[in-house]
Amino acid sequence: MAQKPRVAIFDFTGCEGCELNQLNFEDQLLDILAHVDIVEWREAMDDRPGEYDIAFVEGSLSTPDCIKRIHEIRRRAKVLVAVGACAVQGGINGMKNIRPIEQVREEVYGEDKYLFPTLPALPLRAVVKVDHEVRGCPMTQIEFLKVFTALVMGKEPIEPTSSVCTECKLKENECVFTKGMICLGPVTRAGCDAHCPTFGQYCTGCRGLVPEPNLEGMKEILVEHGLSVQEAWKRLQLYNAVELEGVRS
Amino acid sequence: MNLNQLSPRAEMEDLYLPVMAEIKETRRLTDLETLYTVELPDGRDLGHRPGQFVEVSMFGIGEAPFSISSSPTRKGVFELGIRKVGLLTEKLAELEAGTKIGIRGPFGNGIDVEKFQGKDVLIVAGGIGLVPMRSMINHVRDRRDDFGRLIICYGSRSDRELLFTEELEEWEREKRTEYHVTVDQGSPAWKGNTGVITTLIPGLDLDLPNTVCCICGPPVMYRFVLLALKSRGLADRNIYMSLERRMKCGVGKCGHCQINGSYVCQDGPVYHYPDIKTLQEAL
Amino acid sequence: MVQFFLESDRVAEFVTHLMKRKPVYAPHRKGRKSYSFERTRDAAGVVLDYPRVMQSVKKFFLPPREQLLSFDLGDNTCRAGEVEPLDAIFLGVHSYDLAAVGRLDHNFSEGRAERNYLTRRQGALWVGVSYEPDEYHFAGSVGIDPYDTEGFDIFLTRLLDGYVLEVLTPAGESLLEGFDLPAHEAGKPAKKHFQQHIYVPQDRLNEVMSASYNNPVWEETALGCVGCGTCNLVCPTCYCFNVEENVDITVTKGSRDRHWDGCMLREFSEVAGGEVFRETLAARQRHRVMRKFKYISEKTGQPWCVGCGRCTAYCTAGISIVNIVNRCISDYEKSTVSAIR
Ligand SMILES: Cc1cc2nc3c(=O)[nH]c(=O)nc-3n(C[C@H](O)[C@H](O)[C@H](O)COP(=O)(O)OP(=O)(O)OC[C@H]3O[C@@H](n4cnc5c(N)ncnc54)[C@H](O)[C@@H]3O)c2cc1C
Ligand code: SF4
Ligand code: SF4
Ligand code: SF4
Ligand code: SF4
Ligand code: SF4
Ligand code: FES
Repeated sequence: MAQKPRVAIFDFTGCEGCELNQLNFEDQLLDILAHVDIVEWREAMDDRPGEYDIAFVEGSLSTPDCIKRIHEIRRRAKVLVAVGACAVQGGINGMKNIRPIEQVREEVYGEDKYLFPTLPALPLRAVVKVDHEVRGCPMTQIEFLKVFTALVMGKEPIEPTSSVCTECKLKENECVFTKGMICLGPVTRAGCDAHCPTFGQYCTGCRGLVPEPNLEGMKEILVEHGLSVQEAWKRLQLYNAVELEGVRS
Repeated sequence: MNLNQLSPRAEMEDLYLPVMAEIKETRRLTDLETLYTVELPDGRDLGHRPGQFVEVSMFGIGEAPFSISSSPTRKGVFELGIRKVGLLTEKLAELEAGTKIGIRGPFGNGIDVEKFQGKDVLIVAGGIGLVPMRSMINHVRDRRDDFGRLIICYGSRSDRELLFTEELEEWEREKRTEYHVTVDQGSPAWKGNTGVITTLIPGLDLDLPNTVCCICGPPVMYRFVLLALKSRGLADRNIYMSLERRMKCGVGKCGHCQINGSYVCQDGPVYHYPDIKTLQEAL
Repeated sequence: MVQFFLESDRVAEFVTHLMKRKPVYAPHRKGRKSYSFERTRDAAGVVLDYPRVMQSVKKFFLPPREQLLSFDLGDNTCRAGEVEPLDAIFLGVHSYDLAAVGRLDHNFSEGRAERNYLTRRQGALWVGVSYEPDEYHFAGSVGIDPYDTEGFDIFLTRLLDGYVLEVLTPAGESLLEGFDLPAHEAGKPAKKHFQQHIYVPQDRLNEVMSASYNNPVWEETALGCVGCGTCNLVCPTCYCFNVEENVDITVTKGSRDRHWDGCMLREFSEVAGGEVFRETLAARQRHRVMRKFKYISEKTGQPWCVGCGRCTAYCTAGISIVNIVNRCISDYEKSTVSAIR
C-alpha cells in the first residue's frame, strides 16, 4: 500500500483483557505503528468521523446502543477485524445466553436492571459482516501480528482450522489428559501455539471450535475421562455458547 | 544405517528454491483471468511437455501450481493463464510486466505426445481447463503433420468468460482445426451453441479406434464427459485426463496431492483413464 | 559379531564415552509420564528403559517446523534455508523407530532427493536398545522384532543386570574404541511377547485392505474420531507437510516455512474454491489406514506402519489402528468364507 493504512480500534463489552491499547508486546508495537496511522482511539470514536482502512473491534454486543455503533463502524471501515473471543464467538459473555435474560440483568445491574436494556451477548458476525478474526481470550498475540502484517501487505490473512492438539504434537507437549486433566484441545482451533498445554494447563477452548467439529465425539471423550454429560456440555459451552445454543432471549 | 546409495550432498539440488523469472507481458483474458508471458533467467528454455505445471510464487504471499499454457514448440518464453480465486492469484493479478516471480518446475508427467502421433486428437476443455489444453492444441497445430485430425470441444459458462478469444477465432477459421464451442448461458449477442459441454459430443464425427481424447475442466465435468464419450463408443484406453488436487511441493514430498495411492504431482496431473478408473477418490 | 556385557551401573560411563566422540541424542524424562529424545548434556539424564517417546527421531531429520527459504521483500530475492548436517549418535532407539527412519529415507530419496532431510540424516550413527512391548506396541505383527538389529551400529539387549552390547558395523566398532568391556558369551535372551496383534501376516494385508474400502468400520470409527490429527502427527512414518509464508513484523523480510501436517485434518485436501476431496472423517480415516497398509506397501512391498502403537496410545478418543485392521480382517474372512459356501 502506497499510503499508510488508517487503523481504528474499538471496544465493546469485553472484559478489558484484550485491549489493544494495552498491548503488552510493546517491542513490536513500535514496528506496528510505523506501518499505520492510528486514526481513532476508542474514546475518540464519535469525535472525528471519517473512513478507516482497518477497524479492529473488541468485545461482544449486548445493548441496542452497541448494535447501532457496530453498524456505524462497519459503514466506515473497509476491513473489519473482530478481536478476541468476545467479538468472535460472543465469548464468555455468550454464557448469559443460556440463562434467562432477566436473571442476567438482575445479576449484572441489580436494582437498576430496568434502566439497562440488554440483549444476549452477540458476536460481531451476528450483526455485521466480519472480514477477519483474531481469536483467543485474551486475544492471541501471535495471531494478531499475523493478521496485522497480512493486512498491511494487502493480503488475506490465513485462519488456522486445525486443532490445538496439532500444535501440542509439534511441540511434543505431554498431553494433559495423561495428568488427569480434561482438555478441549481436540476440537479447539489452533493458532495459540498450544499456549495452555505448553504451561501444563488444560485448554478451555477460548479460540472457539474448529470448523465442523465432531461434538458428539468430543463429549464422549470428556465423559470417558470422568465428566457427566451435562458437565461435558457445559465445558464446551464456556466459549462457544452462541455457536452451540444459538441466541436465546 | 547408511545412505551410501544416495547422491552426495553437493549434487542435490534444492527442491524448494525457485528461480526468479520475469513477467514479460500480461494480458487480461476476462475479468478473472490473466495471461502471463514469463521468461526464465538468460532466456533459458523451460523445456516442458504439454500438461505439465510450474509452481509460481510471490514472497510473503504464497506458492501454487499452474499449468503451462504455451506449447513447447514456442521457445524462449512460456505462458501461464491464471484465474483470480484467492490469496496468491489476487496478488498475481496486480502484477505488471517487468516484475519477477518465483518459478519451480516444470513438474508432473504431462502428456506423452509421442504416443499421440498419427492419431486424431480430441480435446475436451471446460472453463479454465482450456489453459492447460491450449499447450497441447498449439503443439499439434505447430507440428500439424505429425498428428491426424484436431478436434476441440470447449465449454464455458457464458460467452463473456470465453478465454483466448482471438485464438478461438483463429481455430474457427483454420481448415485443419475442427473447433466446437458451447456456453451454458449466452448473452443476447451470442450466436453459437448453448448448453453444457456434453451436448457437443453426440454430434462429433469420430474415427473411434484412431482417436485419443484429453479432458480437462472443473471436477464435476469429468463424469458427465466420460459418460458421453462412452456412449459414443470411445474406448477407455483412448482417454486421458488432467486432474487437480491441493499441492504444496510439486515434487512428491508433501503428500497433499494424493488420490488413494497416487501422487498427482508425480503420476499426474495427466492420467491415462484406465489407470485411475478404479481409484475411488479420483473422479 | 562381537558381543560384550555392559553392566547397568556402567551405562552412564558408556554414555559419557559416546558424548566425547560425537553429540548424543537419547531419551530423557519429560513431564510426568513421558519421555523425549533430547540432546544429552548429562549422561545421568539418559533413560534406556522407556516404553515410547511421543516423537520419534524423525524430528531431527524432518523438524516439526523448518525454514525452506528466507526472502527479502525489498529486492525480491531469496536464499535456501540453512541445513546443518547432524553428525550425531542416536542412542536408545527402538527397532521400530529405526525401521521408520528407513521408510522416511525412501520417501525423501525416491524420485527427487530432498537435500534438507538427507543432509541431516546422512551422518547419523545408531545405538539401539531392546524394549518391553506394552499394551500398544504391535511391531511383531509387521515383522519388526524388539531385538531386531537391522540398521544399527551398536545394539543393546536388556538383561536383568545390564545389557548385551553387540557391535554390528565398523562405525560401531570405532565408537567403542577406548571403552573396555568384558566379552559376553551367552546366547539369545527370551523372546518378547506382544500384547497386541494384527491377525494376518503382513504379506496378506494388501489383499485384506483392498477388499475393505467400503467396510462400515470407517463410518463407525468416524463417530468417535474428532479429527484432531494427533494420529498423523505422532506417527514416525508420516512425512506430510504444509508450507506457509511468514513475514516479519517490519514487512521487509520473511521466510517460507514448512511444518508437519496430516491427512486427518480437513484442510489437507482442500483446494482453492473450497472443494475438499476427502470431506468426511470416515474418508480421512480410511485414507490414513490405507496409507499404512495398502497404498504405499503396494509399491514398496513393506507396510508403512511399524507397529509403534503411538497413534493409538495418544488418541484421546481411544481409536485403535490394530482394532480397525483386525476388524477389516475378520470381515474379509467372513466374506471369503461365505463366498466359498
Ligand atoms: C496441476 C494444477 C494445475 C493448475 N493450473 C491452473 C491454471 O493453469 N490456471 C489457474 O488459474 N489455476 C490452476 N490451478 C489451480 C490453482 O493452483 C489454484 O487456483 C491456486 O492454488 C489458488 O491459489 P490462491 O492462493 O489464489 O487461492 P486460495 O484459495 O487463497 O488459497 C489456496 C491456497 O492457499 C493456501 N492456503 C489457504 N489456506 C491455507 C491455510 N489455512 N494454511 C496454509 N495454506 C493455506 C494453500 O496454498 C492453498 O493451496 C492448477 C492446479 C493444479 C493442481
Ligand atoms: S493437552 Fe490438550 S491440546 Fe494438547 S494434545 Fe492433549 S488434548 Fe490435545
Ligand atoms: S490452549 Fe486453548 S484455552 Fe489456551 S489459549 Fe489456546 S485455545 Fe485458548
Ligand atoms: S488421534 Fe484419534 S481422534 Fe484424533 S484424528 Fe486420529 S483417530 Fe481421530
Ligand atoms: S500408524 Fe500408528 S502404530 Fe503404525 S507406525 Fe504410525 S503411529 Fe505407529
Ligand atoms: S498417513 Fe496421511 S499424514 Fe501420514 S504420510 Fe500418509 S498421507 Fe501423510
Ligand atoms: S504436491 Fe507435494 S506431494 Fe504432490
